[in-house]
Amino acid sequence: MRDSFSTYHPLINFVYFVAVITCNMVFMHPIFQVIALLSAGSYSILLKGGKAVRFQLLFMLPLLLLMATVNPLFNHAGVTILFYLDNGNPITLESILYGIAAACMYVTVILWFSCYNAVMTSDKFIYIFGKILPALSLIFSMVLRFVPRYAAQIKVISHAQKSIGRDVSQGNIVRRARNGMRILSIMMSWALENAIETADSMKSRGYGLPGRTSFSTYRFDRRDTIVFLIMLGLMAVIGAAAFMGQNSIRFFPSIRIQPMSMVSIMVYIAYGFLCVLPVVIRLVEDIKWKFIASKI
Amino acid sequence: MEIYRIKNLSFTFPLAEREALSNIDLTIQGGQFITICGKSGCGKSTLLRQLKSILTPHGQSQGEVLFHGQSLRDVDQRTQAAEIGFVLQDPDNQIVTDKVWHELAFGLESLGYDQQTIRLRVAEMASFFGIQNWFHKPVTELSGGQKQLLNLASIMAMNPSVLILDEPTSQLDPIAAVDFLETISKINRELGTTIIMTEHRLEEVLTVSDRLIVLDQGKVIADDSPAKAGEILHTIQHPMFASMPSPMQIHAGVGSGLDCPMTVKEGRQWLNVYLEDKAAAQTKVTTQSLTTPSSSVAIQFKDVWFKHERGGPDIIKDLSFEVSEGAFYCIVGGNGTGKTTTLSLISGILQPYRGKIMIHGQKHTKWNSKHITAHQLGVLPQNPASLFVKKTVELDLYEMLSDHPLSKEEKQQKVDSVVKLTELEHLLAMHPYDLSGGEQQRAALAKVLLLEPKILLLDEPTKGLDGFFKQKLGLFLRKLHHQGVTIVMVSHDVEFCAKYGGECAMFFDGSVIASHPAEQFFAGNSFYTTAANRMARHIWRDAVTIEGVIERCQTSTSLSRV
Repeated sequence: MRDSFSTYHPLINFVYFVAVITCNMVFMHPIFQVIALLSAGSYSILLKGGKAVRFQLLFMLPLLLLMATVNPLFNHAGVTILFYLDNGNPITLESILYGIAAACMYVTVILWFSCYNAVMTSDKFIYIFGKILPALSLIFSMVLRFVPRYAAQIKVISHAQKSIGRDVSQGNIVRRARNGMRILSIMMSWALENAIETADSMKSRGYGLPGRTSFSTYRFDRRDTIVFLIMLGLMAVIGAAAFMGQNSIRFFPSIRIQPMSMVSIMVYIAYGFLCVLPVVIRLVEDIKWKFIASKI
Repeated sequence: MEIYRIKNLSFTFPLAEREALSNIDLTIQGGQFITICGKSGCGKSTLLRQLKSILTPHGQSQGEVLFHGQSLRDVDQRTQAAEIGFVLQDPDNQIVTDKVWHELAFGLESLGYDQQTIRLRVAEMASFFGIQNWFHKPVTELSGGQKQLLNLASIMAMNPSVLILDEPTSQLDPIAAVDFLETISKINRELGTTIIMTEHRLEEVLTVSDRLIVLDQGKVIADDSPAKAGEILHTIQHPMFASMPSPMQIHAGVGSGLDCPMTVKEGRQWLNVYLEDKAAAQTKVTTQSLTTPSSSVAIQFKDVWFKHERGGPDIIKDLSFEVSEGAFYCIVGGNGTGKTTTLSLISGILQPYRGKIMIHGQKHTKWNSKHITAHQLGVLPQNPASLFVKKTVELDLYEMLSDHPLSKEEKQQKVDSVVKLTELEHLLAMHPYDLSGGEQQRAALAKVLLLEPKILLLDEPTKGLDGFFKQKLGLFLRKLHHQGVTIVMVSHDVEFCAKYGGECAMFFDGSVIASHPAEQFFAGNSFYTTAANRMARHIWRDAVTIEGVIERCQTSTSLSRV
């Protein structure tokens, strides 16, 4: 099923991921970490289904445990000493907690990036950067066209050479190397030869005339504006709270966090809402769809 | 309204002695559908490229080209880009971007249209060409025919008043080619766009053309309606006549006073009228004059199954067939039925997951360079350019022998004999990439023949060749066949297989459905057969080739006189 958040304007997608990943890396506060970890995890499951569950259990969970246990073994700062190791080094409560927080952060960033990859397709990336540098977007698009094409051609040449006994998989090492070089050399002449026709095709369609525009299939509609404003509002609240020191935590020498207050609870809610925004959008649209479908 | 006026145009490439175009004088009216044909290297492409300044090659030119009454040199680039659409030969090379929608918009972006206009034009074109279903796809997922259609659509989006096409279907399979030509004809009919195209698949295109221009050595030798131009070619005994539609060739060969037929339908009616007062010649008892295959088997497939991936679909299903030694075996069939895969299985590049493949009675397991000498297999790939490695054809041929412990004289002797066989003498000093399609084909074949194969595998050898070179290739293959080489050929070209092939096999759904001697094979099919057979099969079921139908027509005449 298609993800509804992915259907929003690329700018929304991009700003969202920049915001959550930055917040995640800057705010070590445990409540923030837990919120981010849970939302990133659930969004990646929503996006990729069973594959994401397997990935999280097989790789992310061991990584989290490993990092959380390794940190106190090497980091002995902190004032609350729990016990001593055989070699006389202390294990402190602060370093254990710091290890857990840092591990949480790493895992969450990885999860956010896996979501980013699923949502920000090459089209969207090209579009975002095309806005900044129009020439760049065409180059990106051409690279994405030519890399698979060259890869396919190498295969064709290698098959042709194989049938006359000149492939990289044939002969002794020296011969293999020579055959490999030969395939690359054929590839070069092929690419240059064909580039002439590509250039002709571009020129023939007016490439190089002044005043080139850049077309995209995206439109910034009302729905995008609303979500963008909500995102900006939430980000402003979180930013203000960060300025007031609500989001930070000091681990060493002793743990110190701002006491929980009405203000801090408001900030947690704002951050939580920002993080689960794609999930909420998805669920709301699903429910809406079911509602419409039941009416038909 | 005059679109183009070409006044005494001559053109010479730098350092060339001969003029590529000499004294071309043409007027092209708006809305016409013009086909230009001629042998490879006759100046077709050069002429087309004179019609758009940015594509005109360097060289000396005399005379003038007027576009809408204005000298083409004075027409600014922006107008030319929009007004003159140009589709090139290779579908892949023309695509610039990675997504279908982006490619459609490319020209409009260059012209600097705003978002809203581009959106509308792109939508219009996608609907006109039926692209909406693959609008968001990456271009790598498209078939060859779809790619060429995309190239056409992205040019039509700029709304040109004239569309120039340089052999647009030469890289497509027959079905995609017919679809593409249909679309071109639709553009001409429904939008009134002027079409100027060069083409060697004349059978389909002539029925929709208003005018046929034949070029030879840079000169116009015929310029008339297709039927009349065909007659002119016949009277001057021009080799290009061999590329005309079969009904036309039969008509000319028989020499009746009736109107010249263009299509199979007209051909049938023509034949009926022609035979009205004559007794049709008796169907001859098919004499099995084919070289009786020797008892030994060259290639044997036993219940072979193949798939590319573990969970993937089966490409080859329960395939069993035999090719006897010294046979000329043609595999015909639609796209994606596994024909090329079968060739790769024979050559050992791919391995079956079930079943046995025997070459000369030996099971061939893993491929290595020793097997080439052991089995003496030669493979000519679909794209011959992927074999060339050196600066000249001659060096390339010697390179093939670089690993053989032969003396200089022996090597020279071998190369000389192959060069003679493939008629490459005058091309030895050229760069392989500078050769035309047919010449590249022969040079690649020469390379493969230096391995002295007992079995020769050919993958679509007639792709992109004009009628003249096809004939040359056919005669050449026949020569090899007579020398005792076993030939296995995969082809879409029914006419070619009927004319030169020994045994034909119909491939469908990963397996051989039927396999018979060529004449019997095509006589038995009612759809998948040659145009000559479709035209005459209601009278002579077994007349497969043009020559066969002409011969029977002539014998009918003599019968009626008795």
